Amino acid sequence: MTPGGVVVTGLGVHCAAGAGLEAFTDALRAGRSALLPAADRDADSPGAPLPPFDYPALLAERRARGGWVPEKAARTAARSPLGVQVSVLTAAEAWARAGLAEGALPPERLGLVVAGNNLTGAGAHRAADRYRDRPAAVPGRYALHMQDTDQVGVVSEVLGIEGEGCTVGGASASGNIALITAARLLDAGAVDACLVLGAPTELAPLERQAYRALGAMTPAATGAATDHEPPCRPFDRAHRGFTDGVGGAAVVLETAAGARRRGARVLARLAGHALRLSGTSLADPSEQVEAAVMRTALERAGVTPRQLGYVNTHGTASPLGDRTEAAALLRVLGPDAPALVNATKALTGHCLGAAGAVEAVATVAQLAGGFAHPNPWLSDPVEPRLRFAGTAAVPLAAEFALSNSFGFGGFHSAVVFANEGL
Amino acid sequence: MDHSDIFEAVRRNLGVVVYDLDTTTVTLDNSLADLGCNSIDRAEVVTLTMEDMGISVPVMEFQQTRDIRSLVALLARHSA
Repeated sequence: MTPGGVVVTGLGVHCAAGAGLEAFTDALRAGRSALLPAADRDADSPGAPLPPFDYPALLAERRARGGWVPEKAARTAARSPLGVQVSVLTAAEAWARAGLAEGALPPERLGLVVAGNNLTGAGAHRAADRYRDRPAAVPGRYALHMQDTDQVGVVSEVLGIEGEGCTVGGASASGNIALITAARLLDAGAVDACLVLGAPTELAPLERQAYRALGAMTPAATGAATDHEPPCRPFDRAHRGFTDGVGGAAVVLETAAGARRRGARVLARLAGHALRLSGTSLADPSEQVEAAVMRTALERAGVTPRQLGYVNTHGTASPLGDRTEAAALLRVLGPDAPALVNATKALTGHCLGAAGAVEAVATVAQLAGGFAHPNPWLSDPVEPRLRFAGTAAVPLAAEFALSNSFGFGGFHSAVVFANEGL
Repeated sequence: MDHSDIFEAVRRNLGVVVYDLDTTTVTLDNSLADLGCNSIDRAEVVTLTMEDMGISVPVMEFQQTRDIRSLVALLARHSA
């Protein structure tokens, strides 16, 4: 690994819980959830939608607040799908926070790793609807928009990134895998700074239905009393599946030495990470491999379970996923561990490919802000021996935090952040 | 179809495709590139206009068009 390690110097986020790091941190602290009960939404729409999204207006608003808007942001992404426009907003926020807006580093030393796969389902659904009977009207532009890699193209043009870049797919673990990929690019000396971009997923109705058919997603409204209940209750015995949220996040990683050289403010250190497959084609998580990646990430960070102050779980509210993760955590931490445990997806919804990036932002924001966000609807935990956060935010003075991300197809990952502010 | 209807459609679609373009300044003598269109923008102005007009023109034929006047003339030939 890089001497001194890899550090976080910039954060950006735009999701249903909050647009921009301040609003997002406020929502975390307040435990404000953006999730709609089944009764209040259409079965074909996201469970945690963004407020009405007007890209030029959001750019103008940011400029009016004195925030940085890259010169090419409006023109390059004017025709882009919502997911790419959200990425430009989060990328620009993280880039400005890292102090990279003024061209502090040569373009060829900047990298971009976009987290997520199958990002364009809703776009494909809309295009199929619109052009089914008139294929001659399909615009050439769709050849760009239909690719996940459009995220890489647009964001690299807007920020002037000309080093290494790619998308990284690992289903719902993509965010963590992108952090790990970027850390390795930095370790290898391939780039001096790397933007990790959790790209939003907009699901097509058919894709949402497939998740429901699998039993992984909260059911659509049925007319029952449960239609009015909070839809996503991670680790509560009343959990009924995950609820999709629209949102993305961005994290700037640099070598500690590079950040020091240019006087960048260090928000946290990426102290350890681990990624493993469990050799399965199914959606089932493995308790054993979950425990193994948590242990390995902690060992690589040189952290004992008792030094761990906080765990940001994968915590989707899928009954099988919650039980498995709770059991794996108990194995790793032991029954009376000090680490506070919460689940950010109860507030943001499950941002799928971006989830790990959104939760990395949430983790660093909580470490830096000295609090752990509540689990607003957790009253009857599946595993009472874990120290779950309650229904109000609590102070947190954690030196180390663990963030888990798991994905269909056997992806298991964990990252450890060190608090650099203590 | 009338050339002026086609020109209006091209002008409207330029407004859709090109960020921040004041479409009132667009004339038949402009080329799409003059107005800030890259290759993807130019193709989209054409496909949107074909969609509006309900016509289909082979992509190769657009390579001959130099300005909006020749683009409108080509679309008009195919809409006749």
